[in-house]
Amino acid sequence: MLTPLQARQWDLQKAAHLLNRAGFGGTPDEIKAFCELGMDRAVQTVLDGPDDSLQFPKPAWAEAKNLFEMHQTMALMPDADRKAMQQQIQKQYRQNDLDLINWWLGRMRYSANPFREKMTLFWHGHFATSVQKVRESYLMWLQNETLREHAFGNFGLMVKAISRDPAMLIWLDTRESKRDHPNENFAREVMELFTLGIGNYTEDDVQQAARAFTGYRIDPRDETFRFAPFQHDGTDKHFLGKTGPFGGDDIIDIILEQPACAKFISKKLWEFYAYQDPSPAVVNTLASSFRQSDYEIRPLMSTIFRSAAFYSADAVRTQIKSPVQWVVQTAKVLDTPLPRPQITVNALRQLGQVPFAPPNVKGWDGGKAWITTSTLLYRYNMANFSVGNGPLRIEPVRRVANVQGPMGNGFDVQNYNGPDLAKVVPQVVRGDPRRLVAYLCFRLYQDPLTARDTQTFVKYVSDQGPNLSDDALRELLHLMMSTPQYQLT
Amino acid sequence: MSDHDDDHIIEPHTSTLHTRREFLRTSMLGAAVSLSVPVFLQKTFFTLDAMAADSAVQTATGKDSPILIVLQLAGGNDGMNTVIPYADDAYYRARPVIGIPRESVIKLNDYAGLNPKLVGLKGLYDEGHLSILQGVGYPNPNRSHFRSTEIWQTASDSDKTDSYGWLGRYFDSCCKGADPTVGVAIGNQTPQSFAAAEPTGVAFSRPEQYRWLNGDKSGASQQIYMEMNAPDPTDMRALDENDGGSIGSLAGTSTPSRHGESNLEFLQRTALDAQMSSDKVLSIARKYPASVSYPRTALGDSMNLVGRMIAGGLATRVYYVSQGGYDTHTNQVATHARLMDELNTALVAFAQDMKAQGNFNRVMLMSFSEFGRRVSQNASNGTDHGAAAPMFVMGGGIKPGLFGKYPSLDNLNSGDLAYNVDFRSVYATILDRWLRAPSKEVLGRQFPLMNLV
Repeated sequence: MLTPLQARQWDLQKAAHLLNRAGFGGTPDEIKAFCELGMDRAVQTVLDGPDDSLQFPKPAWAEAKNLFEMHQTMALMPDADRKAMQQQIQKQYRQNDLDLINWWLGRMRYSANPFREKMTLFWHGHFATSVQKVRESYLMWLQNETLREHAFGNFGLMVKAISRDPAMLIWLDTRESKRDHPNENFAREVMELFTLGIGNYTEDDVQQAARAFTGYRIDPRDETFRFAPFQHDGTDKHFLGKTGPFGGDDIIDIILEQPACAKFISKKLWEFYAYQDPSPAVVNTLASSFRQSDYEIRPLMSTIFRSAAFYSADAVRTQIKSPVQWVVQTAKVLDTPLPRPQITVNALRQLGQVPFAPPNVKGWDGGKAWITTSTLLYRYNMANFSVGNGPLRIEPVRRVANVQGPMGNGFDVQNYNGPDLAKVVPQVVRGDPRRLVAYLCFRLYQDPLTARDTQTFVKYVSDQGPNLSDDALRELLHLMMSTPQYQLT
Repeated sequence: MSDHDDDHIIEPHTSTLHTRREFLRTSMLGAAVSLSVPVFLQKTFFTLDAMAADSAVQTATGKDSPILIVLQLAGGNDGMNTVIPYADDAYYRARPVIGIPRESVIKLNDYAGLNPKLVGLKGLYDEGHLSILQGVGYPNPNRSHFRSTEIWQTASDSDKTDSYGWLGRYFDSCCKGADPTVGVAIGNQTPQSFAAAEPTGVAFSRPEQYRWLNGDKSGASQQIYMEMNAPDPTDMRALDENDGGSIGSLAGTSTPSRHGESNLEFLQRTALDAQMSSDKVLSIARKYPASVSYPRTALGDSMNLVGRMIAGGLATRVYYVSQGGYDTHTNQVATHARLMDELNTALVAFAQDMKAQGNFNRVMLMSFSEFGRRVSQNASNGTDHGAAAPMFVMGGGIKPGLFGKYPSLDNLNSGDLAYNVDFRSVYATILDRWLRAPSKEVLGRQFPLMNLV
């Protein structure tokens, strides 16, 4: 059972927790405003956020191409011209990758509806697709829009949309799948990773499902989904105990009837938003309401965000920030813009999470896997850069998703101003070491430190003398971010 | 170059703690281990006690222990264009465009030979410092990069999943209480093979970046960084919670996860490992420039770094290095030749470096890839995912030769070469004969040993 949190238990820390987990955190003022809404309206704000698409128009290059015409034109070109044009396209793709990542990070950072972006990030990790194989940034943008559209919608509709998504058709080879040679890649992953989890189907089910997904193609004239009946196997399939001339949508409908599906998705959502390894009771409660609502995501998220367990000690401040969460939340709490795209994207690469380039179809492992001695020190040094303290070493690569190493030794990037200190630290607390540290604890961790750790920082401030310099204040911010505690949210 | 005392390598200007043991001696010994001490410290503490009682537990000293370097050729190296069955017409029939011409193959015997770029490795083979293992794989091969890599990293059967890696289980079984640098991954990621019940090991790629930068010259912030990134031996959380009920949970307070270590404790442990290892790594890198010249490639840089760490006596048992780019589905000829060249030049430089240091007899390098590639070239003059492939084992103290049988090109298993050596026999041999660890315990059962060492 999941008992709801009582309205009177709602407080600043819980408001901060909801902002952090459902979105990317906020400034002390934003947390206070969110708290004043009360739990009901705060959760409502999360679930029914405004449409921000006018605020974030699609990138200028994000248009479908007529690949058919393009290939015809190129086939007629002299070799040298064709090579030059191919190089030009590759160069454009590289630029578009950066642009696309930056477009999305900016949307996470500034959207009036960050909750939809966080949910989209969850679905991106779930239906993990990489530009490394898809190649074309436009198709990655298109998939991102599909995930956003269905983010709080119906899970069944989302899986069906994803099964026709051009980037997915490339990523898991569905477009190559022929009636006489069905490709099992998508059929396997749709069950193993997207809906049921391993152990809830047989190898035979994979082969039968693969036949149902034959004939899914991309129309080269406008890069949209096209069904090719001549390549579709319309004969009977025996799938999860049922028999019929199933198509892809029928397969998805049968999958959705399996109790394992609701459990698999509910558990993954709970682990992303609340905490690892929920009890079977929690999973079963969520899964049964998810199935009863016919896989509507919004009511499921409402149950999660209103539950006492979501605000329990198991959940609050126990999650290791993902690199994306770290970068966006840092910009939010320091009230700064994101650093230049090349810097941010290269830092994300060092930290192990480049959006649109997950390591494989399983997505990012997350949790403790984010942290090694190397990535932890890089987080600390990224903090040094973010507060305006000094340079950051980046190691550019030709394409963000490249498996090959960086080009050369990398170089230091400088000239980042960091936060406006007057905005980040009110004058009234700056002169009082104890109040300053308490204030920054709330701004950075939304939570006090232990007495010992507090004392460590208070002493540092006191030792600086009566007038804390800007440099010393920046170093204090950096020190407070160079801690295990800042990696948690 | 090899005979340096660890204690003299550390720069004198910092008071950084060098090992977990030292950390415990200076700040915890004598204090009662109470329930408020983080789980990982308790474990370490008890492990140290156990170690004192049981001298059979191995500790790496950095001066004399054998060292293993695991080199991952990521993406699925084309084994048939690495060790080439040049005498087999079936090879040229299957690979009319991408096959390596017979006359340029470096012959090993009257059937197989090396890729023409591996000329330096042939030299090592001739002088008795390289062995070539043919047809290595496992039953029911999986052709997914992700899954097959996992199988190699965890040494599991292909129908089972294991959460711990084979090297992690070795650390668990033989290196308890060792310095975190007992396992070093060159790069930003910890390989899955290091995953363990009590994880250890550090990761870095550029020593000059593997340190905490700050904007303060006074040293005060260095002190605070060190305090905040070591666990609090007198943990105040219990006290705080007693007198501050209204505060709610404190920053980073968390509940234990599956293996008894909360995310906060995990972060604290990693932070301490980073802090303890970074000064040492940086100072070794500064004091020990490479004794030979390495190629300026990603792999060359990695091997260079390993060579310097070995010269400086880092107390490491296992280094993990990776070379990417082997997933050659299209127009593979030029790409694969470049990769072979990079592999050859980096390993030859490393061997020279080890000889110059007098450490060649202490090191063994083992290369592996998650799978080989299809026998036949594909429609894009590349190759798709296959199965069995060769491995290289290099070192001053190994038994050289050509091991295993070249898999038959006529008797294929779903279009792929069938394995005849289980990779876990290679692991078992390395564990038992090189690292002197009980392979049966680490791998879960006894695999036949090879005459490699």
